[in-house]
Amino acid sequence: MGVLSVVLRSRRAATVPALALGALVLSACSGSSLGQSSGGGSGGEIKVGLLVPLSGVYAPLGQDMRNGFQLYLDQHGGKLGGRSVKVVTADEGEGPQTGVPAAQKLVTQDQSSVVVGVVNSATALGLRDFFTESKKPLIVANAGADAITGSGKSEYIWRTSFANGKVGAPLGSAVAKEVDGSVYLIAADYAAGREMVAGFRKTFEAAGGKVAGEKYTPFGKTQDFQPYLSGIRGSGAKAVYGFYAGAEAVSFVKQYKQFGLADKTALYGTGFLTEGGVLDAQGQAAVGVKTSLHYSTEIDTPRNKQFVADYRKAFQKAPTVYTVQAYDAAAVLDKALANTKNSDGTELIKAFAGVGTIDSPRGQWSFDSNHDAQQKYYLREVRSSGGTTVNAVIRELG
Amino acid sequence: MDTYLVSVLNGLAMGSLLFAIALGLSLVFGMMDVLNLAHGAVYLSGAYVAVAVVGDGAGMAVFVLAVLVAAATGAILGGALAGLTRATPHHLDQALLTLGVALVIAELLAVGFGNDVHSVAAPAPVDGGVTVFGETYPVYRLLVIAFGMVLAVAVYFLVERSRLGSVIRATVADRVMVSALGINTGRVLVGVFAAGAALAAVGGVLAGPILGAQPGLDEKVLLLALVVVVIGGLGSVRGALLGAVLIGQVQALGTALLPEYASFMIFAAMAVVLVLRPSGLLPDRTAVHA
Repeated sequence: MGVLSVVLRSRRAATVPALALGALVLSACSGSSLGQSSGGGSGGEIKVGLLVPLSGVYAPLGQDMRNGFQLYLDQHGGKLGGRSVKVVTADEGEGPQTGVPAAQKLVTQDQSSVVVGVVNSATALGLRDFFTESKKPLIVANAGADAITGSGKSEYIWRTSFANGKVGAPLGSAVAKEVDGSVYLIAADYAAGREMVAGFRKTFEAAGGKVAGEKYTPFGKTQDFQPYLSGIRGSGAKAVYGFYAGAEAVSFVKQYKQFGLADKTALYGTGFLTEGGVLDAQGQAAVGVKTSLHYSTEIDTPRNKQFVADYRKAFQKAPTVYTVQAYDAAAVLDKALANTKNSDGTELIKAFAGVGTIDSPRGQWSFDSNHDAQQKYYLREVRSSGGTTVNAVIRELG
Repeated sequence: MDTYLVSVLNGLAMGSLLFAIALGLSLVFGMMDVLNLAHGAVYLSGAYVAVAVVGDGAGMAVFVLAVLVAAATGAILGGALAGLTRATPHHLDQALLTLGVALVIAELLAVGFGNDVHSVAAPAPVDGGVTVFGETYPVYRLLVIAFGMVLAVAVYFLVERSRLGSVIRATVADRVMVSALGINTGRVLVGVFAAGAALAAVGGVLAGPILGAQPGLDEKVLLLALVVVVIGGLGSVRGALLGAVLIGQVQALGTALLPEYASFMIFAAMAVVLVLRPSGLLPDRTAVHA
């Protein structure tokens, strides 16, 4: 759909046909089953709406999430809490303009009892009122805006992933101890970037760290980081803390190496900087980058090793943090549905409150009072291992 | 000060790539009066050729092979587009047609290579960095600048000094007269279209180690190429060169000097040019000159 925006920006004459095309494309994306079975009631089959991006820049994340949810179902005979599950998938797309209608379709048309997924934070926040008013639970399995379980929290919204501010926070004090000198902060200029930096900065400065500079780069528009990298060099910083994801993470980490900063200035970041397909594309350029995240394929527990092996067997690739977040959403539903016969929204959220500790590949975690995941964070370092690169776990962060 | 000199250098590297990409777009629009919105998709095809052939690292020979494969792919796509667009004389029809082709190509690439971000390694001998103005600078980008200079000179001689160039210029000036001389003008126009597309695809390979390859990159590049063409003036080689170098510098220096306005600067530059010189800095509507 971005092609259309190019046309919209560059050639006003083409606007109307472009919009018509866009409408066609959108309607083609959202086709899926038109089942009529009722969502509420007790026992029997339960319908779960899976709202993940299958097109656009977040499509790789959506694929990982769908695989994670599917793996849990396959491991449990297609049942959650002893009830057979029908999964209805809808394409979240890139933003709220596609994600919100897709979620509404899952609930009103497909009669899903619960919706799982949502990558984009704006979509999650935009859906808050809809889910609260229609009294259906939404399990957010990625979107990280602090407000989702903070100022904008709702009794119907639960999160198995993370809050942006909490991912950077545990790294702050660790970096303040590890780095002898000031640290430069750089991130993509949007809500997630600012929250990731703010979370880090708070604990970093509380632990006595000094900030050499702070820069936000235009989100989604920066392909060449050289001017910023020169700025970092000029600041005399001893280390850098950064947040990028997707294509920008690849460009940033590769150019950080190409312009010779990697050898002198340690690079820290939140784990999204080096996660999944992004790390594959970065290759050896990412070696030595240290990040904080609530998961790594290298966590050395029998639970995780089994999970990674099962996932590799099913999908011929390594799982990612996104996989685990959706996998755990299925685990939450499994436990909750075992405790309630009724799949009415009001009953489900009571059951969510009682799921207790989830034994996840990431370690044990539980919902806090704001319905956010309370979990351990790991300090990870990219290491070269047998021709590929992995996020080795150094230690747990306090 | 040295920091800014490095930015200037970097702007030249980006300018060289933009020149290779925008040249075809400009010539095709200027000479054939066809707005080819599939130009970005042709570029992306080249980038994915680099992903497939070069991947995580290869020697110079393999990289050159990737350039040749991309040139052939681009030429074939360009030839096909030339054939398609000749049937539709109206601009809006052409825009929609080529936009449709762009969507199809982008989707096919996404099906073939997945939605993941891919990167391309610079060829092994020039993978490292050298110290320029006290900072480490990737050798590969210096080579890209050299390539841009060679390309500019080569295109100048081809269009301005060679017999083929005079045929191309004559075809634009008076197509009927040229065909009366026994020259197949349709073939000349298809050839220019194919060559322009081939250059865009080669640009995709050369930009691989800098910009990588991922879905959506085609639109970003197309947008930049359109800006370059608008600034330089349609159908002008010199205009494309000037526009590309200018946009490269605006991007690099603009980010270094006024980071808050960086993403807006190239459009501001375009707006200024459009207000002062509505037909571009070096327009060429009546005849083609290098």
